[in-house]
Amino acid sequence: MSRRPAAERALSVHRHLMRFGHAESLVAPPWVEQGTTVSRVAAQLAGLWSHPGPEGEPLVVEKGLPHARASVLNLIVTVPDAVAAERVVTTMQGLGFRHPSRAIVLVADRAAAGPPLDAAVSVHCNAGRDGGDQVCYDVVVLTVRGKAAEHLSGFVAPLLIHDLPTHVWWPGGPPFGDPVFDQLVEMSDRVIVDGSDFSDLLIGFRRLGSLRRRSGVGDLAWRRLRWWQELTAQFFDAPRFRRYLPNLNGLAIRYAVASGKRAPGRPRRRPDAGDVAPGVSSPLAGPILYAGWIASRLTWRRYRTALPLGPDGLRLVLEGRHEMVDLRLEPVVSAADLPGELISVRLRARGEMGAAEFIIDRTADEATVATNADGMTALLRRVMMEPQTESELLAMDLVTDRHDPTYEAALRAAAIFLDAARPSELS
Amino acid sequence: MATKAVPGAAATGEPTDVATPATAPNPLRKGLRLERIPEPCTMVIIGATGDLTERKLAPALYNLMLGGFLPPEFTVVGFARRDLSDVAFRERLHASVGDHSRNRPVKASIWASFARSVEYQRGEFHDPNAFAELTKRLARIDRDRGTAGNRLFYLAVPPVLHPEIVRQLAAAGLVASGEARDARHKGWTRVIVEKPFGSDLASARQLNREISEVFNEDQIYRIDHYLGKETVQNLAVFRFGNGLFEPIWNRRYIDSVQITVAETVGIEGRGEFYDQTGALRDIVQNHALQLLAVFAMEPPIEFQASDLRDEKLKVLRAVKPMTQREVALSTVRGQYQAGWVAGEQVSPYREEPEVAPDSQRETYAALKLAIQSWRWAGVPFYLRTGKALATRATEIAVQFKQAPLALFERAGASSLDPNVLAIRIQPDEGILLRFGAKVPGPGLQIRGVNMDFRYGSSFAVDSPDAYETLILDCMIGDASLFTRADELERAWEILDPILTAWESGEGGELHFYEAGSWGPAAADELLERDGRTWRHP
Repeated sequence: MSRRPAAERALSVHRHLMRFGHAESLVAPPWVEQGTTVSRVAAQLAGLWSHPGPEGEPLVVEKGLPHARASVLNLIVTVPDAVAAERVVTTMQGLGFRHPSRAIVLVADRAAAGPPLDAAVSVHCNAGRDGGDQVCYDVVVLTVRGKAAEHLSGFVAPLLIHDLPTHVWWPGGPPFGDPVFDQLVEMSDRVIVDGSDFSDLLIGFRRLGSLRRRSGVGDLAWRRLRWWQELTAQFFDAPRFRRYLPNLNGLAIRYAVASGKRAPGRPRRRPDAGDVAPGVSSPLAGPILYAGWIASRLTWRRYRTALPLGPDGLRLVLEGRHEMVDLRLEPVVSAADLPGELISVRLRARGEMGAAEFIIDRTADEATVATNADGMTALLRRVMMEPQTESELLAMDLVTDRHDPTYEAALRAAAIFLDAARPSELS
Repeated sequence: MATKAVPGAAATGEPTDVATPATAPNPLRKGLRLERIPEPCTMVIIGATGDLTERKLAPALYNLMLGGFLPPEFTVVGFARRDLSDVAFRERLHASVGDHSRNRPVKASIWASFARSVEYQRGEFHDPNAFAELTKRLARIDRDRGTAGNRLFYLAVPPVLHPEIVRQLAAAGLVASGEARDARHKGWTRVIVEKPFGSDLASARQLNREISEVFNEDQIYRIDHYLGKETVQNLAVFRFGNGLFEPIWNRRYIDSVQITVAETVGIEGRGEFYDQTGALRDIVQNHALQLLAVFAMEPPIEFQASDLRDEKLKVLRAVKPMTQREVALSTVRGQYQAGWVAGEQVSPYREEPEVAPDSQRETYAALKLAIQSWRWAGVPFYLRTGKALATRATEIAVQFKQAPLALFERAGASSLDPNVLAIRIQPDEGILLRFGAKVPGPGLQIRGVNMDFRYGSSFAVDSPDAYETLILDCMIGDASLFTRADELERAWEILDPILTAWESGEGGELHFYEAGSWGPAAADELLERDGRTWRHP
């Protein structure tokens, strides 16, 4: 009885991953083998770009010659369940020409019976930017069963393109401390997660912080803040406004939350976008990383334990350079926005000519950005702020250096804020 | 009441200085996409109703704004003769962005917001009153929009008007003393000028002199959009970011270098311009010599504008100008006749509109140059460029010397091709290395094989348009990609004797070539005399 749901789950994962073999970008029939071995998969991969196809023709041809490719990156992706499988396929295909050279998609099922290894190899090419050069890559889907699933590194390591950076993307909350997760971390130059997938944000952030010594860390929740950070920094690029930085005394961040509780990790479709949105177990992840970013860049200090601000909200008093800073993270129930997305940011400062305010207000894919300072005419403008798909966020992270000290500092600060908000601290 | 330090930049070993925030860098910039962003400024486009503004500048500014690269205070002032209101000028820009931007369609609400930062000032280029009005307007913009006296003048007019305009700018008090900030002059003033920078050494010097009477050299940004930032940086990283290539980048290992700038297009209706210009002035003077300089320069002390330009200048100074006799021996000029290019019939150059029916103007030029330095003595540099050629390709190809011993010829293998490293710039920017490999099997057969790397199929990221990069660099104050006066004048010093010899008829005859071919046979002979052949990229 108990095997039936497990078998159905495996089938459902399999169905989703089959989409790699039917993608438009496919350039040759996929190679699929059940009950195979790592050396057979390795041999298949080695011959992929050099051996002729069934008709004797090279697999990928450009200007009459076999396609030459320079390899840049390996990506290992884990697929814990069917929900993740759907998300992985959609996101990876959305990468298009920004795809890494080799992607190894891992389905590990320790409970399953059957042959220890099934493999499917497919080769894809996408036109580059402006329809230019073809960008080609291969996708290897490995299904590892039973005891073998506890030793994933042995299956993956021989299949990586050697001497290249290897990134591991773990969609959904990562099982920190799990031996399999540890094996993959050891193998990687950078682990990519999404903080908003974490079921316990404080523990997740602390674990991420301690990963630093073993691997670089990429966080899609951090990537999602890019435009907010860019616009915030712009306020203070002008020297006349930069002098307000030490005098900041208020930071209010409003962010979207869903009206009802949803199953963690379940993808949700935005009505107007084809991309699968990440799960949102922790909508606070992005907003608190934003607060952590400003606090760490401006060396604000925690001064007092947190005050509760509604069920998902948080209020802290921090010690700024010259002023005490009132930090508020306010959840706003919104059906139009994905949970965790920032809606507005307001920075307040004391100035010689009264209070100054720096405001970013987002509605859908546009934002109003305003500066009210120096008693001057308010600078008001509208800018594009299109929400980025998970594919775009992942693509951005794949070209990032191993370590991002700005993120790591923001992460530590965010963990301190979360620590201050624990129920035991809210006496 | 616990006080606990939030780990900040200080904890990562890079102290954040917020104590003197107006002069210290913006601490929030650290780690963002761009660590330097332009300061608030006004860009004044002189000649704002022209073709350049419509096709290049307006789309570039709009794209920069969308990309978040422009400061909020950024303001555009169009200055031209035509009588337009602010509203009418904004509508023109809106239409040109709609036609030429890579970000289309233009979103109404975003445009409406951007349009508020756009103004228009009507004026004749010789009218002091118009420039006095402009001065008042810019002072008002500084006050209202906080542009802090930072001004960028973009001269989008023919070079013949540059001297008059810069004099008017100076007379109206619009030219602050360069980068220096002092009590009298707040903010910077920079000027962007477009090529052509003169038509020979004398006119280039004259133009430089007239502009430099008003602007310091560090305020002048001579734009050459052809040498995009990517190409220069790719070449620099390839040479100086790898330990492998620099040790063999010299006369001991390199046999010769070929620089090709081949175009398939003809003169595209620019008969009047082209018949006075020709391939040498249009391409060799700037693009081909710049490629030569970046390829051959010594490692700069730092990867920054002044060091780069110093090193480029040293290369150009080591290229000795030719005597009349050398011109006849080491150069070839050609002109295309009827033919077929990429399946399209092309009529002869002399039958193009506004071209003299007996025109002697070259549409093709090939030169053999020598760089007389320790690194390059004895290595010929062959440059060629032409219109209506077989393919469109810009590349630098390095031919290495043969292996010292023909070891495999004795074993029966045929002679080996020399190794070639081709740095391709257009199209499909990339690097190709050609070397010999044994054909698998019992015999000893050797074949040349290509190892081909392309930026486009390896790193799938967008590179911005050249104008966007260059305008942004100028606003930031990074002059690495702009040509300095001394470089420019040296390039003319190299080409002047060739132009003189050609125009006097002493530099060898004009050779004709069929459109769609690889140029005149005389160009092949130029290399055959040295026992070499041109590559066909």
